[in-house]
Amino acid sequence: MASPAVDRLVHEPARLAIMTNLFVVDSANATYLQQQTGLTWGNLGSHLTRLEEAGYATVSKGFRGRQPETTISLTAKGRAALVEYRQRLLAALSGIGD
Amino acid sequence: MTGLTDLNRLERDAFRKFYEDGLFDVFMGLMLATMALGAVLSDWLGGEAAGMAGMLGLAFILVVGLLSLRRRLLLSRLGTFQPGPERRRKISATRLALIGSVVVGFVVAAAAAAAYGPGIPVSSFEILMPLVWFLNAVVVMGAMAYFLDVPRFLLLGLVFGLAMPLLVWPDVMWGIRLSPLVAFGAPAAVIVGVGLIKLRRFLREYPPLAREGGQADGRR
Repeated sequence: MASPAVDRLVHEPARLAIMTNLFVVDSANATYLQQQTGLTWGNLGSHLTRLEEAGYATVSKGFRGRQPETTISLTAKGRAALVEYRQRLLAALSGIGD
Repeated sequence: MTGLTDLNRLERDAFRKFYEDGLFDVFMGLMLATMALGAVLSDWLGGEAAGMAGMLGLAFILVVGLLSLRRRLLLSRLGTFQPGPERRRKISATRLALIGSVVVGFVVAAAAAAAYGPGIPVSSFEILMPLVWFLNAVVVMGAMAYFLDVPRFLLLGLVFGLAMPLLVWPDVMWGIRLSPLVAFGAPAAVIVGVGLIKLRRFLREYPPLAREGGQADGRR
């Protein structure tokens, strides 16, 4: 079981995959995230909604040519949340292997 | 699904996928083939200037056609992203290397033209120019391999760089005169072949994903 101190919004594997993939780029479109994470459109959409509601990601809709395109980026709050998640997870697991 | 592993590796692997389509290899190979055709075009069109114009026209069609094809392929299969600061720095370094290559190319071509002018004896340029061509190709493609994290580009540079030495050196050293179609065409065929194999693998490995507007469930 995860440490209670760990942000459960980040801890969920699909959202963790989305956030890590967004962490290393400025922004990405939904196709990129779908390809990188292996999530279906529906799953990706619901997780993005959760991240957007938490203020961790911004989701903007636009067009590339005539095709609709959703662009996603991590907010500063989202980046900080991922960094903090890593620190807390490392701290929680620090005793293992000693 | 990706976990929180090594973020640098995650970014590098994601970026590298965008060069797994092999179309850059095909492009480089076809550019070599175009140079080979340039000599033939000069004969067909009746002059160096016409041949050069024909070669530039072919190169333009190649650039536009392959860029458009690559865009279509990648958009539907890998999507797009705006790179982070570190990757942007690497892309800028690659652009500088490419610009440097063009400058070196022009300087060497100008120097060679001066050396081969009327009344001037054949000089060591026959040895040096192909060497500069080879080193230029290897250094630039090596820089691309390093900065873009695509090691294959170094091999591409090695094969690309062989074209000019193959054309000039056998003639200078042993009196064996290879046609430009052979000297440029052979490396071009190798590079295009590798590119087509990569393209075939890419199309199999990365099928097109459903378009955003096409899904039934909707995102929000």
